[in-house]
Amino acid sequence: MAISRALLLSTVLVVLGGPAVAQNTPHVTWHDDGTVTLKSDPEYGMEIKTTKEELGSLFGPGQKPFEGETVTILSLDSGPKGGISGPVYMFRPIWEELTGAKLNIALTPISELYTKTFLDLRNGTGEYDAIIVGAFFYGDLIAGKYILPVDDWKKSGEYPKWDYDVMPPALRAIYTWDNVGYGVLSDADGQILYYRRDLLTDPTHQAAFKTEYGYDMPAPPKTLQQLRDIAKYFNGKNFDSNDPEPDSGAVLHLKVREQGLYHFTTLATSFAMTPGDKLDRTHNVYWFDPVDMKPLINSPGHVKALEFLKELAAYGPPAQVSWSLGEAWDFFLRGKAVFNFSYGDVGALAQDLERSKIRGKLGSAALPASDTYWDMEQKTFVTVKEPRQVGNVTGGSWHGVVSSLGQHPEAAYSLLSLMAIKPSQKFLATIGWDGVDPGYSYQWLEPTGEAKLADYTESALKWDAQDVKEYLDAYHSNYNAPTMLPYMRITGTQEYYDALDSNLSAAMSGSKTPQQALDDTAAAWEQITDRLGRDQQLKNYQAAIGWKGE
Amino acid sequence: MSTPEVTAPVHEAPVDRVKPLGRRSGMADSLWSLVAIAVTILFFFPLYWAISTALRNPADTFTVAGLGIPWLDFEPTLNNFVVELSTPEGWRAMQTSLIVSLSAVALALALGLPAAYALARFRFWSNSDITIWFLSQRVLPPVATLLPFYIVFRSLDMLDSKTALILCNATFILPFVVVILRQTFLDLPVELEEAALVDGASHWGAFLRVALPLAAPAVAATAMIIFAFAWNEFLFSSSLGITETKMMPAHMAGAVDTRGVQFWFMATRALIAMIPPVLLALFAQRYIVRGLTLGAVKG
Amino acid sequence: MRWTGRIRLLFLTPAVAWVLAFTIFPTLYTVYAAFHTVKTETVTTRAEVPRLDASGKPMLKPDGTPRTKTEVTRATVNTWDFVGLGNFGRVFTDPQVREAARVTAIFVVVSVSVEMGLGLLLAFLFNRSIPGRGVLRTIMILPIFATPVAAGYLFFTIFYEAGGPLGWTGIPWLSNPGWALVSIMIVDIWQWTPFCFLVLLAGLQGVPDDLIEAARLETKSSLRIWTGVVLPLMTPVIVIVLLLRLAEAMKVFDVVASLTVGGPGNATQSVSYLAFRTGLRFFDVGYASALALTLLAVVMAIVTLFFKRVRNVYA
Repeated sequence: MAISRALLLSTVLVVLGGPAVAQNTPHVTWHDDGTVTLKSDPEYGMEIKTTKEELGSLFGPGQKPFEGETVTILSLDSGPKGGISGPVYMFRPIWEELTGAKLNIALTPISELYTKTFLDLRNGTGEYDAIIVGAFFYGDLIAGKYILPVDDWKKSGEYPKWDYDVMPPALRAIYTWDNVGYGVLSDADGQILYYRRDLLTDPTHQAAFKTEYGYDMPAPPKTLQQLRDIAKYFNGKNFDSNDPEPDSGAVLHLKVREQGLYHFTTLATSFAMTPGDKLDRTHNVYWFDPVDMKPLINSPGHVKALEFLKELAAYGPPAQVSWSLGEAWDFFLRGKAVFNFSYGDVGALAQDLERSKIRGKLGSAALPASDTYWDMEQKTFVTVKEPRQVGNVTGGSWHGVVSSLGQHPEAAYSLLSLMAIKPSQKFLATIGWDGVDPGYSYQWLEPTGEAKLADYTESALKWDAQDVKEYLDAYHSNYNAPTMLPYMRITGTQEYYDALDSNLSAAMSGSKTPQQALDDTAAAWEQITDRLGRDQQLKNYQAAIGWKGE
Repeated sequence: MSTPEVTAPVHEAPVDRVKPLGRRSGMADSLWSLVAIAVTILFFFPLYWAISTALRNPADTFTVAGLGIPWLDFEPTLNNFVVELSTPEGWRAMQTSLIVSLSAVALALALGLPAAYALARFRFWSNSDITIWFLSQRVLPPVATLLPFYIVFRSLDMLDSKTALILCNATFILPFVVVILRQTFLDLPVELEEAALVDGASHWGAFLRVALPLAAPAVAATAMIIFAFAWNEFLFSSSLGITETKMMPAHMAGAVDTRGVQFWFMATRALIAMIPPVLLALFAQRYIVRGLTLGAVKG
Repeated sequence: MRWTGRIRLLFLTPAVAWVLAFTIFPTLYTVYAAFHTVKTETVTTRAEVPRLDASGKPMLKPDGTPRTKTEVTRATVNTWDFVGLGNFGRVFTDPQVREAARVTAIFVVVSVSVEMGLGLLLAFLFNRSIPGRGVLRTIMILPIFATPVAAGYLFFTIFYEAGGPLGWTGIPWLSNPGWALVSIMIVDIWQWTPFCFLVLLAGLQGVPDDLIEAARLETKSSLRIWTGVVLPLMTPVIVIVLLLRLAEAMKVFDVVASLTVGGPGNATQSVSYLAFRTGLRFFDVGYASALALTLLAVVMAIVTLFFKRVRNVYA
């Protein structure tokens, strides 16, 4: 009897007290001192502190500025715990609590993202309020007027506060168009060099290398030619104690229509682009001539770069022609190659002992430049002892934009900006699985930036101290290099890229010579330009690179 | 004239009848058996490899030597399956796939069976031309139909609806029903239906009560095949859907993320996705080979 | 024997009407698009209107000023420019199309031949008494249910050259243009031989015993029985399977998209994949439509010719 009454009583208490208990563990906690704690669902383990000030004047305890609205965001599909799409899931309950609105997350495989985005936009459907896009979509997005500028919302003080100022200029450039801001701060992509610090600083190898090549083995290499020498030296030796197979100098992800193209463009910049202090017809141009839109892609510098890439690939596993990121990284993380130049994910993945055997051995540096480049003005190859450093923002740099066809642009912006505030980004840069790579001032280590070493070494990923120091240094130096590879994002980028990509792959797999491949590319590009309208393309390109006229 | 001899070959259609041709020899028999077993093992290997991949830790994807035998070559783990089976997106995709595929099959059969029968029994201006016309629907590459379908469904405000996908898939698999089952009906001796007609049944009645039951095994087999087609359709379900209509193939393609292909999840999802059609096939297995008596003998 | 009578229309019309309804617009659209180029422009007008809450009262910001929301009206304008045969001209002069046509032709001829041949052989084998035939048969038809997209990715691990189950052969399965095409064909053969096997086996089992017995009285050679009696009786089945496989193989897309993405270079780019990229990545709708129609014309020519030649047997 007593038991059943006790049971009845406790059930009543639970039912009545349930809601009360639930209210005590919300995702958003407003403190009296003006700070706010944002907590994700326990599986993500995020707890960050911000201020009411930082969240913007529309938000506050009990304020539900977008109540009743339903926002749909389109993102690439990595699942709720994967890169790029994961953070959206992570922030959803927090955002819904802050705004009173509902969020629908539409996912599509990464290969279909462009198609789905433009199926929606080109046909005027407007099902998506916010879209996660790659920076290379911009040419088509701007030309169709499919996205809304965010500067006004940013300045109004009503929304979560973030700033373009924390971005290096090169990154800022691809989040904006003609100095108008469109993208909300998110991922920062660029390729840096990863190398096996342990192998390059090993005295035995250093001595042997000096004997064979006549100079001290630099760690990291200071020019691409030195990189090639080191790759050649190590190729075929078995320095990986895990298996008896010989290992490789360098491993590259050359698969067509995946990442092969980016390897080439990142590498070729220092061969093909004439460094200079300003942008003119012969300096700092890479893709097209800024006056007549003729392709520069088959210039002697580009051809030399492709020949170099072929040589470098010879010091790697022959299968890499068909390898994309996963396979190439797996090869490198298992310790079977000395070099890999790629995105920031490698640094994070190297710390995961389940996938990586090189934790604590990962050296990082900005990709060195070639000691020989094609001078477009003098029309000759020039060799220098200390080449000018070239940086890149190669990659998708996936970030959110607000669709101009959606019905809830403000609510959409509030979501994107919430994920962009400093506490959010600081957290995302440390956890590794989210695909967000470091690029912002508060992510660099002191004194360059504001982060402390402990932020990384004590994070869930437990970064190795030396690894993360070199990693952050490398990215910082990459983004702030004096010369940057201009990012291709004009209308028709998909077509231009595709022509280049398939010809590069043909060259790398031996069906065409480098000269032939690039000549074919140039011819294809001319056709594309003519078909899309040469004048329009020229104007677009000039706007994209910030051409001010001769 | 419905004699038992006429009905027998069809009714008790050969399930496991053996028809060795030529002289029998014990040696030859075992040799053929070995070949059959060898080929079957060969065809099963990729599925075995998928199972092996799904049971591995991600780091072991490319490092396992030899034949990837669990416990022998690597430490198997059920972690991938645990993760996949606890993802609500996966279940929703499975559910959507089931609804869409089953409905599409039902629709295709409802439309296609009478048409197949008509093309076998009735005279039109050119039966073979009409059949070819149905066949030609399978020839146009998907890109040609995707954009127009997108436009149509958008103007009908049906973009994120399962109905749209059901209609699309039904249209795509209908030709199989007509082309394959027409041959089945051609193969049935028409005397049985004529007898029914003489007895006062309508054409529809003869179709429903005489021809269809006899063709049932073939219908089951065709249903199996078209279900697989609808189940595996990727392009339209991916392009026409928004949030409500994610099906298994798109879910599988989602195993490719910004870091490349996650083979372990791909394998797991692919295996899980095979379960419903395989279960349905096992269920109808008894009919599948029993039934498809196509084009052997007429009359 | 064929009946006539008005009732026949009731049987056939629903299916015909359905197909017409769903394919007439796409066909017209494709044909129209093939003779045009399209430029899309979306004109959006955005107005700042006062934001109202559920009861219709204007909402205020915390500082008392009224909140606004953006009302979006959009109109998409497609401009179609007639270009006559321009797109078709491009189809015939584009080197990529020629390459893709070559790739598709090789792929179709080899894959379909192997699938049919292997399917026939398997049908023959499984027609005999072998131990565990039911189980073996069930295993043999499993590949039909595998999703082609996933199969492409899965075979990547099988074809992995730096290790993997086939690494010992030293064959550059995916990194060599020629072998990449072979790999694509292997995947297709794996996936579709069971389909051919299934249908052909049933066709084989439909051949009546008495005919076989009669033939066996005449000759001892099983080969002669096969070619003289069994195969001719199976011709209608063979034709169906052949035509269905032909139509599907011409459109090969999923495996190409997942295993090789058309590469290396363009070595495995099928016409269908090229059309897909042109239409749905570059949104060059006119050209993609012309490409699709050309493919349709070629295949239909082959199918019709083939079909009519065996028409008398097929009736």
